[in-house]
Amino acid sequence: MELLKAIALGLPMTLLVTAVALGIGSIVALPLLAGLRSGKTAVRFLTRAIIDLLRGIPPVVWLFLLFYGISAGSFRLSAFGAGVIGLGVVAGAYLTEIFRGALGGIKAGQWEASEALGLDRFTMWSKVIGPQGLRVAIPGFTTYAIGLLKDSSIVSTIGVAEIVYLTQQSARTSGQGITVYFIAAAVYIMLSMPIGMLSRNLDIKMRKAVAR
Amino acid sequence: MNTIFQDILDYGPALLGGLRISLALTGLSLLFGTILALVFALGITSRNKAFRWTSTFFVEIGRGAPALVLLQLMYYGLPNADITLSSFTSATLALTWTASAYMAEYIRGGLAAVPGGEIEGAQALGMSQQDTLRYVTIPQGIRIALPALMGFAVLLFQATSLAYSVAVPELMSQAYSAGSSSFNYLSLFIIAGAIYAAISIPATWLSVGVEKHLAKHL
Amino acid sequence: MQSIATDPLTTGQTAVRVTNLAKAYGDHVVLRDVSLEVAPGTVTALIGPSGAGKSTLLRCMNLLERPDRGQIEICSHRIDASKAISAKALAPLRRSAGMVFQHFNLFPHMTVLRNISLPQQRILGRSREEADTKSMELLARMGLADKAKQYPSRCSGGQQQRIAIARALALGPEVMLFDEPTSALDPEVGVEVLEVMKELAADGMTMIVVTHEMGFAENVSDTLVVMADGGIIEQGDPQRIMRDPQHERTRRFLRAVLER
Repeated sequence: MELLKAIALGLPMTLLVTAVALGIGSIVALPLLAGLRSGKTAVRFLTRAIIDLLRGIPPVVWLFLLFYGISAGSFRLSAFGAGVIGLGVVAGAYLTEIFRGALGGIKAGQWEASEALGLDRFTMWSKVIGPQGLRVAIPGFTTYAIGLLKDSSIVSTIGVAEIVYLTQQSARTSGQGITVYFIAAAVYIMLSMPIGMLSRNLDIKMRKAVAR
Repeated sequence: MNTIFQDILDYGPALLGGLRISLALTGLSLLFGTILALVFALGITSRNKAFRWTSTFFVEIGRGAPALVLLQLMYYGLPNADITLSSFTSATLALTWTASAYMAEYIRGGLAAVPGGEIEGAQALGMSQQDTLRYVTIPQGIRIALPALMGFAVLLFQATSLAYSVAVPELMSQAYSAGSSSFNYLSLFIIAGAIYAAISIPATWLSVGVEKHLAKHL
Repeated sequence: MQSIATDPLTTGQTAVRVTNLAKAYGDHVVLRDVSLEVAPGTVTALIGPSGAGKSTLLRCMNLLERPDRGQIEICSHRIDASKAISAKALAPLRRSAGMVFQHFNLFPHMTVLRNISLPQQRILGRSREEADTKSMELLARMGLADKAKQYPSRCSGGQQQRIAIARALALGPEVMLFDEPTSALDPEVGVEVLEVMKELAADGMTMIVVTHEMGFAENVSDTLVVMADGGIIEQGDPQRIMRDPQHERTRRFLRAVLER
């Protein structure tokens, strides 16, 4: 029980890192998405290169690059800052692909109908394409969010005191490494379950709202 | 820029040595992981309770827990049970666990996606259940799962960078120690990142290509 | 447990005998006590409106679907559906009945040749060479020898269906079951398949064919069986039934089909 308490102290930080990184990722994904859909070949090519690079390099490398690598004068990112920015931009690249796939799932007829009706771009995106795309994107988005929850453990390597960081500490001090790590594993599994359930509920609701 | 070139000259061999270890780690965990994944994929749908529960246990933990937790469990945890493994062995074990759990799900999904008509075709021909599984369901299911499995292999290669935290002298830890001796972390992590990208990106393209190619045959 | 018996007295007269076959999905009755006999070397066409139970009857014959009760006997291999059916009892029955599906059900990951050879190797224990020789012989008969090394996805629907027929024939079945073999094909392609089936009939193969091809039913089959609502409502000489249907349901069905 003592062990569980020691580990659970890291829970708020794990959730915070995940949420902030997810927020940064969602924001980063929008210009990338626009870039992929750009009419200019050069812009599309450049965006594709950025996405491939963000995904092609392991998150821990990005984190170390930001945390140890960037120090202009006296400026240095905090461990938390480096952690959420690193995870966030990588998430942005993955989320772009998820959003792009969701848009691809919308039937050509929806765009055509919007244009034929003479809807302006804002109405088309906010009323027609956006809501449908969002629904299609939800399962992919939550799967990624659950993955990110686990990936957030990587920030422990630069000293952010989340679950794994505290687990490592109590493993060292308690001498009960196996138990401690299994508790940590259980905490992550417990955390993933409600997110998955929430997504399924949301999915069903949105399906009803959109499909009829 | 100059420092990057200088660092490549100075630390290139050490980084490539680290890359070899990263690749070995990837290869071994993929190899053992695939074998176990096939067992688990059949296990989670098995009617045999013991088999099903064991498979589910390993798959759920392998997918539910961060790879970092499994890595540290093997390296820092097991010695408490008087099992002390080398850092490379414990990292291989941990990544095999993660890999087998994810791949088991992809394979299970692939098996479930084999069109019922093909299985019926085999049955109508009089093929036994084992033969149907061996010649139709499994090869066909693995083909369906192949692009996802290849995509996962790339992620696994990237995940080997986490083995740095359990003292495996792979690419990431070579970059880190080189950085601490040259006092130029930025250039070393850029070089390391470029090496990871140079392998991951083409490998991803390959898996997309395979997916397109297979789509034609299904 | 296992209920397969050889009865030499019946083998001469019937190739297929179905007795009191019944099947329901919950409350929905698909087959109500259907009985049918098919003489060796004859072609039986099963027609009727959709939902009549034709395909279910055919699929029950080789136990792709499990009837609730009734007996099935194909070439002296007998199975009682109300008892447990062992894999051992099922194998010889399925071996003597070849099946052709509406959607071909070829194995997409194997070449055309492997599709035909693998079952021979696994079920008849032929060597790969023997099996390949037999497969090539059949492919040549179907006019598809040049497709042997291709994958099914590279073949047209009509070619795939002929390959599926070759795959079934390679096992030397005594009876061939066809489940709407041309329904998924364009009419002009379906003709290729119907030609092959006519040749098979002329060679004396016992065939049961669920079909919507009235021309085939009238001109090629020896017996026409009309089904509706899970039962057989009329059977006999095809030309007679087409000309002078006895049952009101048959009349309605034929009118609907012919007026289309």
